[in-house]
Amino acid sequence: MKCRVKYGNAATSICLALLSGMAYADDTATHLDLPTAASVYAKDLQSLESRSFISQTANAKSANSSVYLIAAKDSDALPVQQTITPLVSAPQFEPSWLSGRKAHQYLGLGTVMFAGLTMLAAPGDGESCETNCGTQPPRQTSGTTHTRLARTTAALAVATVATGLIYHWDDIHWEDAFTDPDKMHARLGAAGVLLLLYAVNKSANSSVPTDHAPAAELGAVAMLVAIKLTW
Amino acid sequence: MMQRKWEVAALLAVVLSVSSAYAVAKEGFWDWMFTFQRQKNIKPVIDKKYQDECSECHFAYQPGLLPSKSWEVLLTPEALHKHFGVNAELDNDTLKVIHAYAVANSAEKSWYKRSRKIAVATEEGPAPLRITELRYISLKHRDIPEKMIKGNKGVKSLSFCDKCHTQAAKGIYDTDTVNIPNFPKWDD
Repeated sequence: MKCRVKYGNAATSICLALLSGMAYADDTATHLDLPTAASVYAKDLQSLESRSFISQTANAKSANSSVYLIAAKDSDALPVQQTITPLVSAPQFEPSWLSGRKAHQYLGLGTVMFAGLTMLAAPGDGESCETNCGTQPPRQTSGTTHTRLARTTAALAVATVATGLIYHWDDIHWEDAFTDPDKMHARLGAAGVLLLLYAVNKSANSSVPTDHAPAAELGAVAMLVAIKLTW
Repeated sequence: MMQRKWEVAALLAVVLSVSSAYAVAKEGFWDWMFTFQRQKNIKPVIDKKYQDECSECHFAYQPGLLPSKSWEVLLTPEALHKHFGVNAELDNDTLKVIHAYAVANSAEKSWYKRSRKIAVATEEGPAPLRITELRYISLKHRDIPEKMIKGNKGVKSLSFCDKCHTQAAKGIYDTDTVNIPNFPKWDD
């Protein structure tokens, strides 16, 4: 039994590490390699001066400054410069691999993964018997792979909600529509955590087998949908 | 036990579909549903003509940053004649291509999260003409002090997305990818 638990824990750790790695790689490496706006400016600097519409801007003292800033609203953001500042390539900015927002993301993925493992590690048919069960062995509410995974899932779920509230608090506004993706994400995530906690609590406090799986599974799916909505 | 699990799985599948039902009628739902590709931000510009023409003068704002009703107003020959105070006229063929691309990839036609947020928020009311005036955009930037934008020579205005959003050209506007010029520790 101990050996099984050890293997189970090891497999879980590997899966979590793989999943985190995938999420990180997807976050940083799968986007299209488009030219940056800055490179386009530099590339077309010569052609800019020969563009016909520039000559039509009678009030523009400097062609370059006017064409750069047509989207600017603020008048103080429209300085007139006669000289062109040499383009110096800024050092490449590398986003941190770990931040509060990314921790929220990893925790959410981890919760769903652990929920799946918990379901797979659920005890066999005898455990779910509620009536006319005959003689049953004492029900184990702790120490089994299933209970450990369930508690880990619940802990991860709580941590996910906590980090979400801390790092994405400013993404939720009362004025936003009901179907706002962030609002739906928050609602479903919170519902998912409550269902997972309810399932764990129901099972942990019962000396007889309880049918707590539907609540837990519904909670896991709620969290999965929440992730998908903002993925 | 096994049968009950299948019943639960079927029930959950229904819940999953219903949860996302608000968008079922729209095109591309199933593509969005069954892709693992991240669609959290804004769809990057992939049309070369749009990219080339717009970025000759300013950052090529992704069409998903505005609803189609805004692009319909902005991308007309008359509107481009006075495009935010500058004559940005285009020949008819080019305008046709750019207009079609912008409308086809506008906020309400995109499955990217930020576009969906913009679409939901601009569903009613007049067409917003400036991205910086979108409530979603202004709320996201409300806590950034003026000295970091208007008072910052490296930025000057909220309109220059790519000055701070280092991956704006890829449509990524995450806080984690923000690097405000002259304020490396802006988030502290």
